[in-house]
This record gives sequence, structure tokens and C-alpha cells, in this order.
Amino acid sequence: MIRKALLSLLVIYQKFFSLLSFGSCRFYPSCSEYAKWQFEQNPLIYAFFSTFYRIARCNQFCKGGIDYPILHKLSQQPSNLTLDTIKYWLIPKSHHRFYIIKNFTFKG
Amino acid sequence: MLENMSSNQRLMIAVVLSFVFFIGYTAIFPPEEQALTDQNGSHKVQDVSIIDNIEKGYHDAATASSVPATPEVAPALQSSTKLVHIEAQDFTMDIDTLGRIDSMVLKKDKYNIEEGHHTELVSREGAKTLHLRFADGALDATALKTPYVTSASTLDLMNSEKATVTLTQTLPELTVTKEITVYADGHYDISITLSKEKRYFVYLGQRAKNANEQIMTVHGALIYDGEDLTTVFEDGDVEGRSTFSNVKIMSAFGQYFAGMFYGLDRDINVIVDRDRNSDPVLYFDAKPTIDFHGYIGPKTYETLQSIDPILVHAIEYGFFTFIAAPMFSVLYWLHGIFGNWGWAIIALTLIIRLLMFPLTYKGMVSMQKMKEIAPKIKEIQAKHKGDPQRMNAAVMEAYKKHGANPLGGCLPMLLQIPIFFAIYRVLLNAVELQGASWLVWSDLSRMDPWFVLPILMGATMWYQQHITPNTFTDPMQAKLFKWLPVIFTFFFLTFPAGLVLYWLVNNLFSIAQQYMVNKQFETAKAERQDKSVTEKQHDKD
Repeated sequence: MIRKALLSLLVIYQKFFSLLSFGSCRFYPSCSEYAKWQFEQNPLIYAFFSTFYRIARCNQFCKGGIDYPILHKLSQQPSNLTLDTIKYWLIPKSHHRFYIIKNFTFKG
Repeated sequence: MLENMSSNQRLMIAVVLSFVFFIGYTAIFPPEEQALTDQNGSHKVQDVSIIDNIEKGYHDAATASSVPATPEVAPALQSSTKLVHIEAQDFTMDIDTLGRIDSMVLKKDKYNIEEGHHTELVSREGAKTLHLRFADGALDATALKTPYVTSASTLDLMNSEKATVTLTQTLPELTVTKEITVYADGHYDISITLSKEKRYFVYLGQRAKNANEQIMTVHGALIYDGEDLTTVFEDGDVEGRSTFSNVKIMSAFGQYFAGMFYGLDRDINVIVDRDRNSDPVLYFDAKPTIDFHGYIGPKTYETLQSIDPILVHAIEYGFFTFIAAPMFSVLYWLHGIFGNWGWAIIALTLIIRLLMFPLTYKGMVSMQKMKEIAPKIKEIQAKHKGDPQRMNAAVMEAYKKHGANPLGGCLPMLLQIPIFFAIYRVLLNAVELQGASWLVWSDLSRMDPWFVLPILMGATMWYQQHITPNTFTDPMQAKLFKWLPVIFTFFFLTFPAGLVLYWLVNNLFSIAQQYMVNKQFETAKAERQDKSVTEKQHDKD
């Protein structure tokens, strides 16, 4: 419930407000996109703190650049695997940790 | 497309974003949380039944439930006659035959809301300050028909600091005595004595509604308690009845003026009720003998501070008070240095810009590095045309590789939002700006009568956009962006001149900053061209 509400808030932000804040983020994925992936994939508390930490780093004193969210716990077991239905690639980082990377060919 | 985004553009975006957020936020949520510090629930229930009983004495059952606790005076005394007239340097106050403050007129022209009319702080309708109501319905009805007797019909505060008057009401069962000492600065001490123990309530009543409030200002009522907690009840937004104890200040306030009680005993229950418009009505459950203080007048920081330092807590800026209050302190301090609110506003703008300078400077240095990798970025953009996600990823990778990043970031943008709100609230709510003149403008709290400041504001905003590299790929976005100065100018036409001044100065600083960045950019570009020309020459040789 909370997750859905937060995600829809993020979508509203991206649709309307980022029209105005367009292109100010120092990172890829942008802070709002990062938050979206976090809240989609990770436990709420973990997602909240990661997003907070990310926004805190998003200033002129940090380099910025590419910073992917990290999957907290592997639990997805997709039934249908084709190139166009995969939303995120999970790239192993270390033991039980995965980078969440968007699949560019994912539609929808 | 991203490499051209300057710190200036980000600032502008932050402004707009905060603006949109501000309007959206105030529209969707009431800016104040309504924490209910109800410490004794059983007491509350009792209160409700007693007060409802009172009402039944005046209204039939149907209206009693829909119109709670708005004391309607019996028709005979509706057109209340004045009992005591108080004349001071800055105000005239009248107390009526029911021992209530019936009128408080500020004599200073700078407080005039309407041209040529001195401002009346007591509402013509609704509850009046110092109104007493008994829990016993029959007694209350008698009390409403029995006029008070006074010890003096006029008090002169023109030449003295304070003056005292004793009002007495003789009822069949008991005698009510109100001893009021009024001071020239607008505050008063009051002690109420009942000859026999009876449950009764003292009203602070409601703020004056005739004073027209500007949009985006906070008005209604507030309770400041011993735990340093301020609870605000905004007009039109009061639900039910709430009880507070350990109250330090109870205040009914508008944009600039307030009526308040303070110095109440800890164990006194203060009740915030609603009238038919859901505006707050304040009163408290009194004891047979009670002493407390009151104030009615403008929320001037200096005056409140000199009466009792605790009273400055009655100056409320809404949700962002925690930033707005310190900001006002800085502004107040600057006013002490310059002796003028206009220059103080300009200095405040400068200070805020200076505080943000480390971030801006970092951004400017980064811009220098950008030029070195500009050709590479162009290449990447061409390669991923039509796939923004992939392009962004590639561009970011290039930035990181070369240790350059032209963007400001989300944190500075988000940090600016509360600062902007706070400035708005301070400049809109500060009564000190009333009658504050600067150059040719005679009152910074009013709209600019010649529209010079708003138009200059719009013009500077347009110029700022003009010299800032435009990076919008979406034509709709670009169009909207172009129209922003026009929209802002119209929006600011009726705003207080002081607020427009802040914007104008802020724009000027932005332009200066952008100019410096552009200059640096050009010099570097020229250098590079020279270099490439000499290189070509070398090739030929």
C-alpha cells in the first residue's frame, strides 16, 4: 500500500515537476529514477535510506556519474523471460548483492 | 544537451519548483499540523456538555449543534454602548457595558488597511475579548442583560504609562469585578473576582475579519504551551473542540495583528472552538479569582519583546517557522545596521547568495573542465539520438571519466525550497514592513503603485533566461519556460513591494553570476580556437 502510494507520488513528480527541474541531477539514473527503482525492488526502510543518502550526495561537492541501486535481497522468480519483459538486469556485485540496471529494451 | 545546463538555470528551476510546490502544498494540505494536546479527556467531555447547555439557553436545539460557542448577545444589548474610553498615543480602546473590549483602533496611518481609515482590530461580529460567560444558563442570561458599572469613564494614556479602571457587575446571586490596567504599548493586566464560586469562561474571541488578508499568509489562532509547542488553527480549518492546559500564550491573529492572553496559570484549560465558518474561537475555563495579561495590537517584534519576551512566540510564519523565525532575526539585525527595511532586504539577499557561493563556485570550476570534453559529449549525443535513457547513461559515464560534472544536483535544489518559502512568509507576515519606505516607495508591505518593481522583476528574469543557455529539447517545455517571466510579472503585481524587491535583487545577482560564467566560457573557447588554428598551421608546415 505505502509502496504503491510512494511510487505513484514519484511518477507524478517525474511527469510534472521534473519538467521544471529537468536535467539538474548529477547522476545516472537520476535521483527520482533511482528512488523509483529502490522502492520497487527493496524493503521500504532500506529504499528510504538509500534514496536519502543518494540525494545528500547529489551536490556540487560530489563527482556524480553512474550510481546504480543495489538489490538488498534476491527474491524475484520471474515466470516469463524474454528480452522485452525483463525490466531490470541484476548484475552481481559481491556475495548476495546485485546492481539494479534498467533494461533499455523493456517496454511498458 | 545536459552540458549546457548552468547553475543559474538550476536556480531558476528551483524557484519555479518551490513556487509550484508552495501553491500545490497549500492547496492540498493545510500548512499546519493540528496536534491535539488533550491531557485530560474526561474534563473535555464535561466541558462539552456544559457549553452545549449554555448554548441551549440562546439557540433552539437545531442551531445549538450547528453553531457552537459563538456567543450571541441578547438583542437588547446587541448594540452595546461604550462604557470606558481609553485614549493613548498609538490607539483608542473602548470597553462596552458588558466589560468587553469593543473597539481597538490603531492611530498610526501606516497600519491603515483602507486608505484614510484607521484600522479597527475588533471584529464587528463574533466573540469579543474579555467576554465572560457562565456555565449556569439562567445566570448567563441575566449577566448578558446586566450592564457593568465603571469607576472611570475615560482613561488618559497620552501622558502616562498606564491607567487602571474597575468594572463591577452586580447580579442577583453574586458580584463580578474586573480590574483592568491598560498600558500605553497596548498590553493590559486584568484580574477578575467573583464574590461567589461559579463556573465561568473568559473569551479571547476572534481576530478582526475586516482586515483583508493577502493570500499565502497565516491567520487564525494559535496556542503556545509550556513544552515550546505551537499549535496553529487556521481560519476555515478548525474541526471540533480541543482543550489545552499549561498554555503560555493563546492568540487570535491575522496577517499583521493579534489579540492574545498570556500569563495564565498552568492548570487552566484553554478551549479552541469553531464558529460557523470553521474559524477558531478561543476561551478558557476560569477560576473565581484570576489574574492574567493580555495584548492587542500589531505583531511588532520589538514591542512584543519589550512587553514580555515570551510573546515573540506568537509571531507565526506557518509551516516553515523554524527557518523563517531565524531569517527574520537576521533581517531585524540588518535593519538595525542600515536603519531601512529596503536595504536590509537587499543585504539579506546578498547574505543568502554568499552562503550558497561555495556550491556555485564549485559548479563554475566544473564548467571549465566541461569545455575540454565537449566534443566527446557531442559525439555521444549524436550516437544515441532518440534514446534519452541510454544517452544519459553514456553522458554520465563520460562526465565521471573526466571528473567533470556541469550539473548542480538535487540536494541544493531541494535545500532552496524551504529557504524561499521562509522568505515569502517573513516578508508577507512581518508587520514591520508596514510603512517602511525605501527610495521612492513609501510602503514596502503594499503593492507597488506604479508597478515599477514587478515589471523590472519580469525584465530581469527575462534577461537572465536570455543569457542562460537553453537546453530544452521539448518545444512545449521551451515555450512554457519563455512565458515564465510574463506569468511571474502578473503574479507579482499585487504582491508587497518588499517581496518583489527581494526577487528583483536576487535576479540581478543571478545575472551577474551568469555573466561571469559566460565570460569564462568565452575566454576558454577563444583560447581553444587559437590553439586549433595554430595546430592547423603546424600541420600545413
